[in-house]
Amino acid sequence: MTVPPVPSVSTVSLEETAQSTQPRPEGETPLRRRGNRLLVWTFLAPTLVGLGLFSIVPIIGSVVLAFFHWDIITPPEWAGWDNFAELASNPAIRISFLNTLLFVVLAVTVQLSVALGLAIMVQSRMPNWLRTFFRSALFLPLVLSAASVSLVMAYLFNQEFGLVNEFLAALGIAKVGWLTTGLGAKTVVLLVFVWQNFGFSFLLFLGGLSAIPREVYEASSIDGAKGLRQFRAITLPLVSPTLLVASVMAIISALQVFDQPYVLTRGGPGNETRTAVMVIYESAFRELEFGLASAVGIILTLLIMLVTGIQFWLSKRFVFYG
Amino acid sequence: MIGLLGLGVAGTVVSWPRLSAWDIPGRGQQALTVAILGTAQDAASRQTFVQAFQRKHPDIPVRIVAIQGADWGDYFAKILTMVAAGTPPDVVTVATEGAQLFASRMAHPLDEYVKRDKDEIRDYFEDVAPALVGSFMYKGSLFQLPDNFNAANIYYNTAALERAGLERPADDWSVDDFFTVMRAMKSSATGTFVPYFWNNRLWGGVVPWLYINDTSILTETTAPGGDWLWNEFYPGEEWRGGGPLWEQADALNPAAVESFGVLQQLVAEGLAANPAQGGGNELVALFSTGAVGTTPAGGYWVEGLYQAGMANDAYDVQYFPKMASQRAQFGAAGYAIMETSRRKDEAWEWIKFAVSVEGMRIAHPVPDSNLTRRTLNAELYGAGIGPKHWEIFYDTLLKFPTTGPIPAPPQQAAVESALIKNVVGTITNGPSGVRRGLETMQRDLELALRER
Repeated sequence: MTVPPVPSVSTVSLEETAQSTQPRPEGETPLRRRGNRLLVWTFLAPTLVGLGLFSIVPIIGSVVLAFFHWDIITPPEWAGWDNFAELASNPAIRISFLNTLLFVVLAVTVQLSVALGLAIMVQSRMPNWLRTFFRSALFLPLVLSAASVSLVMAYLFNQEFGLVNEFLAALGIAKVGWLTTGLGAKTVVLLVFVWQNFGFSFLLFLGGLSAIPREVYEASSIDGAKGLRQFRAITLPLVSPTLLVASVMAIISALQVFDQPYVLTRGGPGNETRTAVMVIYESAFRELEFGLASAVGIILTLLIMLVTGIQFWLSKRFVFYG
Repeated sequence: MIGLLGLGVAGTVVSWPRLSAWDIPGRGQQALTVAILGTAQDAASRQTFVQAFQRKHPDIPVRIVAIQGADWGDYFAKILTMVAAGTPPDVVTVATEGAQLFASRMAHPLDEYVKRDKDEIRDYFEDVAPALVGSFMYKGSLFQLPDNFNAANIYYNTAALERAGLERPADDWSVDDFFTVMRAMKSSATGTFVPYFWNNRLWGGVVPWLYINDTSILTETTAPGGDWLWNEFYPGEEWRGGGPLWEQADALNPAAVESFGVLQQLVAEGLAANPAQGGGNELVALFSTGAVGTTPAGGYWVEGLYQAGMANDAYDVQYFPKMASQRAQFGAAGYAIMETSRRKDEAWEWIKFAVSVEGMRIAHPVPDSNLTRRTLNAELYGAGIGPKHWEIFYDTLLKFPTTGPIPAPPQQAAVESALIKNVVGTITNGPSGVRRGLETMQRDLELALRER
């Protein structure tokens, strides 16, 4: 017996889907069917037009632009692969990508660890009013403007007059060049980014943790599992789907870090805190090299897709869906 | 269904005037669009100026578009976005930082207008130092008439100086004298105090220290041409050519190494702050509360200090100290006409009004920037708000005639980035780190200046 081929999802047209999922009413005429089709497309049109105009066309435009030299003012000139070659030859761009990757590894690790730790703490036994307070307080930094937070932090970490160094001086510790040394600037950018962004992961983990049945913990307690063992054997596997989502979001967000290093250090000292998105902004709007900016943007997009793909591939081994 | 569509079409037709794309700011066909760096409040505060202009030119409607930006670079980026969007303004405020970028690609030369109306605007040139005018010449053509400027001078806290047991330094003080003053200020201070606070930026960062040593990070030559302007308006003055050209990286010349060495020593001895990047907005508070002894600034600071409650005699100003010379750096600003403008004649009328005595008085009612007209600048800063020696703001141009604009070629943004990102590394790694840092800066400057 032969089984008729089943069309793949991608080959099933919208029209076919509409036809196959809706029972055809008796007495439906071709004119009526055309009217239905028109109605479907009419409702879809705003979304399709918006998607096309504001996403698809700019993406295609950006890819095309990457092969041109363009300064906005004069007509674009064909550049071939020049802009991509510059990615490899320009030391500032190379360093910015390395900075970004290092930042992603550190920021995501710290962010997820802090968020999960705090979520477990907030889920533990405590009065409801205190739990509500922590939930709001820990989420609050996320709703603040990154630029405003960074400006305030720049004052706090000022080498000469910042409160942080004043506090350290009171403890007898010498002033630290937080924003004027490579290590200091990287640390501050990382701390400010994590402080501002862990609230989202925290909220995801709260949801994930609350979905774990209490009976599982009770059963494991009877079996003698407690503390770290309980965390490794129960909490982590059961919260792993949430961890996957949180890590995907955190990595994508960290790969696009811009506000904090731009306001705090402008990428300095040297290129120590320059990131890939900063290079896109500087190339396009300060140095008027829109082609180069597009090329950097394309590479960054491919990088994000690659990292996300690897995460989902790894998730098959490490994520436990119950 | 068809009825609904019909209603939609009818509604669109009826409301068409409200849906017009010309309502997008900057797309008005009727008004002369003037872009300024500032907030909506700044735009509103220009209304007096606009009204005065329209009393003279009732037939020219004007729309002020305020563009917010952290610095001139941000502002230029947003102007470029307007250009890319097909909504360029007619007239743009441009500072020295962007003068050659606009002149080389977007601005319309003023030569024909200046020649045509020479008698009408002669009094402007008679009242303005030639260095300021020359800074807006590019390859022989004039692109802007500056209406305000700021040269870098040393602001000092009089209490800190007195506490150190020192008198006001002499006009021709040397860098050694500067070190003496800084050391005395530091040793006599209590609590958190920085003798010399500065920010890492193009204007007022390392550039004044390079200029007083007759050097720079870029070679500076003079373009040919410009005789039409100098012969007509400054016949007795030394020829200044067709405007400055900065075409080659020159960070490794011995004088530049020496200047960076001075800054390295100041930071190493704890006499100067390790410079943070930024515009120095926090400085007014630090200086007015006595936490800072000296800092580089221009006349623009006077109003800020007044607003912060600092008394006139609580601070004073002096020229930068002397190395090979006392050449100073300045930045100026004025209006430029966009090449794309269809209202160039009206734009020229706007520029003429902006540099007239009446226009300049209205535009700058408080001492927040030096006026290019010497007489008006004296009127503004001599009115009772400001330091005792306010005259040096303008005299810097006259006493040191080689005083020039900050190095700002058409690739200014890339040059500024190359400079700023290498300053800290150059001056914080000991005396031997200076040359190493400058080698990196030289490489980055060469990249910034390369031709595509």
